[in-house]
Amino acid sequence: MSVMSGGGNTLIMAVRNWVYYIKEAFSSIIRNGWMSFASIGVVTVTLFILGSFMLLNINVEHLTSEIKNQVEIIAYVDEGLVVDEVDKLRVSLIQMEKVEEVRFVSKQEALIRLQSQLGELVEGYSEDGRNPLRDSFEIRTIIPEDISEVAASLQAMPGIARVDYGTEVVEKLFRFTGAVQWIGLAFMIGLALTAMFLIANTIKLTVNARSREIMIMKYVGATEWFIRWPFLIEGVFLGTIGALIPVVILSYLYGQTVGWAKLNLYFLPLVSPEIVIEQMVRTLFVLGTFIGGVGSLISIRRFLKV
Amino acid sequence: MIEIQEVSMVYPNGVNALKQVDMCVERGDFVFVVGESGAGKSTLIRLICREYLPSKGSIKIHGRDITRLRRWEVPMLRRNIGVVFQDFRLLNNRTVFENVAFAMQVIGSSGRDIRRRVPEALELVGLSDKAKMKPLELSGGEQQRVCLARAIVNQPLLIIADEPTGNLDPKTAMGIMDALKNINIRGTTVIMATHAKEIVDTMRQRVVVLGGGRIVRDERRGEYSHHGC
Repeated sequence: MSVMSGGGNTLIMAVRNWVYYIKEAFSSIIRNGWMSFASIGVVTVTLFILGSFMLLNINVEHLTSEIKNQVEIIAYVDEGLVVDEVDKLRVSLIQMEKVEEVRFVSKQEALIRLQSQLGELVEGYSEDGRNPLRDSFEIRTIIPEDISEVAASLQAMPGIARVDYGTEVVEKLFRFTGAVQWIGLAFMIGLALTAMFLIANTIKLTVNARSREIMIMKYVGATEWFIRWPFLIEGVFLGTIGALIPVVILSYLYGQTVGWAKLNLYFLPLVSPEIVIEQMVRTLFVLGTFIGGVGSLISIRRFLKV
Repeated sequence: MIEIQEVSMVYPNGVNALKQVDMCVERGDFVFVVGESGAGKSTLIRLICREYLPSKGSIKIHGRDITRLRRWEVPMLRRNIGVVFQDFRLLNNRTVFENVAFAMQVIGSSGRDIRRRVPEALELVGLSDKAKMKPLELSGGEQQRVCLARAIVNQPLLIIADEPTGNLDPKTAMGIMDALKNINIRGTTVIMATHAKEIVDTMRQRVVVLGGGRIVRDERRGEYSHHGC
């Protein structure tokens, strides 16, 4: 007989082993009822916070991109320019590298707009010669963040009297949204690591309670993966259930929130539930199973050394 | 069957547990390894189970150098070695039958094999009537017999027992020795580390005496012999 002799039909053995792994995993979950409950709780709370933050982040991102798209430069034209010169100016604006769209707004058009906004207050100005406004260009950049650079070069152009783009507001907005996204990312990574640490510790308790079994298994020649699988299944299962709960609750709550906002905060453009929820469900399930699986592998690693 | 050649073992903390040990065990042998605490008995046993790798030298089992096994091959080696511990290491929440069956389950044996071989093993150690009891309902000697049954149920070529009678009174200890002898007679090689002089004297088997990490004597049934292969 060889030292390395194994034996048995491979397929039958594989099926038998899987029945064993799953049975062990679930009986362990039931045997350690409170511990399993705690693990699920930890993952649930973590993923709930993470999911909420994700929804918030998606909406902030959506909102800022909406605002960013609305940001534009208004360049007022020198009053002395004739029509041909204004048209030349328009062409040279369009040819600028970072500019996406240029729209000419005549002073008459500007006045009509103003009147529609302010009504009677500006009524007396409609006759020719009494229009105090100037011709202008509304300019959008390809990338919203380029706006101050483009504005500066416009300011230097002959024929442009003044450039207006709400300098401070825009720059503050960009800085703020950038910061929100970075903080959000850091927060999410931190939370995911915390959850992994907690589930690793919870499963470590299970592993500890079963250290004698694991030792015997090693001595009689169970393979490392044979020992690992039940714990891995247990971890993945706890992680998945831990993800399922926040997924259900958050999906419901988000649907309700969007419905409410549509009626009461119609100016606030929230991302529609179908798009967000799909993304959130995927992320939370992947994270839940990942956290559970990696957590259990970490906690069993030490016991496999012999 | 086992060839230990020029094996030295230095632990990471600097303790030099074995120095240039040569030893050969034939198939079907019954070998006592004796010596003071710290003589290197446990180290030798752990090296044979490949719990540790020696710092120097080779250990061949059936011609295969186990110091060169790959990680995944180690479980396959262990399936051919049954280990018995001084402190039993039974699963107290499972019955005697389940404890023995566990050793078969975890290497993927079929239910049919388990139902056939576990009663055989229990009978060999004289515990057929205690199959449904839990370990803590048994005496120390009986618990050690369960360990023996667990060690032999996978039909290993080699049984390694580390002070199996250390926690037992002399009379119970002799019962365990009878069971081990029984297993040995059926062809299984037995290596047993022990302190118990009276057991060694009574059994009249080969005795390897370790002292200070070296083999100081190798006595085969009363005669001195060369301890190399």
